Amino acid sequence: MEIKQTAMDGTLESSDIQITVSKGTNGVQIDLTSDVQERFGAEIKQTIAAVVADFGLENVNVKAVDQGALDCVIKARTITALQRALGTNAEPAWEVL
Amino acid sequence: METDIREINLQQPAEFEQWRQFLAGLGIANFTANEVDPVDETIGIFVGNQLVATGSSSENVLKYIGVSHTADGNGAYFNQIVSTLLTNLGQRGIFHVFVFTKPQYSASFQHVGFQEIVHSDSAAFLETGPTSINDYLAAIPKVAGPSSAIVMNANPFTRGHRYLVEEAAKQSQHVYVFVVSTDKSLFNTQERFEMVQAGTADLPNVDVVAGGDYLVSYATFPAYFLKTDKNRVRYQTTIDALIFKERIAPALTIKTRYLGTEPQSETTNVYNEVLEKVLPPTVQVKIIPRKQTDGKVISARDVRMAIKDDRLADLSALVPETTATFITNHKATLQERIRKGMKIDGN
Repeated sequence: MEIKQTAMDGTLESSDIQITVSKGTNGVQIDLTSDVQERFGAEIKQTIAAVVADFGLENVNVKAVDQGALDCVIKARTITALQRALGTNAEPAWEVL
Repeated sequence: METDIREINLQQPAEFEQWRQFLAGLGIANFTANEVDPVDETIGIFVGNQLVATGSSSENVLKYIGVSHTADGNGAYFNQIVSTLLTNLGQRGIFHVFVFTKPQYSASFQHVGFQEIVHSDSAAFLETGPTSINDYLAAIPKVAGPSSAIVMNANPFTRGHRYLVEEAAKQSQHVYVFVVSTDKSLFNTQERFEMVQAGTADLPNVDVVAGGDYLVSYATFPAYFLKTDKNRVRYQTTIDALIFKERIAPALTIKTRYLGTEPQSETTNVYNEVLEKVLPPTVQVKIIPRKQTDGKVISARDVRMAIKDDRLADLSALVPETTATFITNHKATLQERIRKGMKIDGN
């Protein structure tokens, strides 16, 4: 699968995360801004990377701006942003959920 | 008290007045039509009928962000305003977004994912989105040794532009010609880029590159594309000059910037003055006197007037053959754009 367009999901409000995904050429690149970067940065990136892998994407740029989101929120936002970017948001991604 | 976020219609006098008073109370003072009219969207957070936070967007630039200090204990309103504006822009396909703000607010924007490009004593300029100035710089071809640079809109590329490039190419090992990317001129971005390429193709040490969002763009320098007062120009050109000095020149080892004298444009004149003040000693500024023909400087505006008045015979004195050919081939399209109201009397 390939990213068709840049897409975004999530907000910058407390307990949420804003995910922007765009075409990449250099593997899975995750750029994270978070207040809890030091303690949870690696975990947040891992959650995002796992969703990207479930979609079978090899090249994608992800920009994540975290405001203290829980794991399930990070996962949900990443799935929605990716589906929008892939143009598949009309159909649920069962294999990922 | 109930909080809601909704659109503010600046065309409605009562809403405009409430918005203006709120921002004036926060020390934001510029409400001239030049600044307000290009705004595409304005939103506000209201507690009851009281405005407690607001923000606007104009193309890909956030403007007029203001949040009541007393109401916004932990930055929640600020985050909500920026978030809503970014989501709305995203729905229109705009993800790469810029903001001008006071230096003391730079940290708040960085907290929501913006990166600072440069700051001066009075302003900071930041961006967010899938691409950044680093990606822009990475895509420009690199050469070994020192380079020179010229920035031009080339609307269209004249014998004056050609002379400036030629002089720089004679005096330098290598020259980058940056073509302004903002699409607000009679000749569109791609047309201007192609004309500059065609008009300099015989000069082996010249590379033509796009100015992108970082050189005299609508984001960094809206005053160039709007009629506006001198102080405004000075303030914006300082940011533009800093981006060149601190980000672009070091990445491409640009040691000299060439400018043409500009007897006919106040905006370009102020811009040149600011560049001379800001760039040295990091980047040397060399000013080349404007090329004249029959005792008169060559001006792109005269070329545009000749197109409007259908005097194509006059062109050969003003533009190189490559540009003349382009204009002859696209005469009908260009005249149509002028008829439809494209302004041609600007810089």
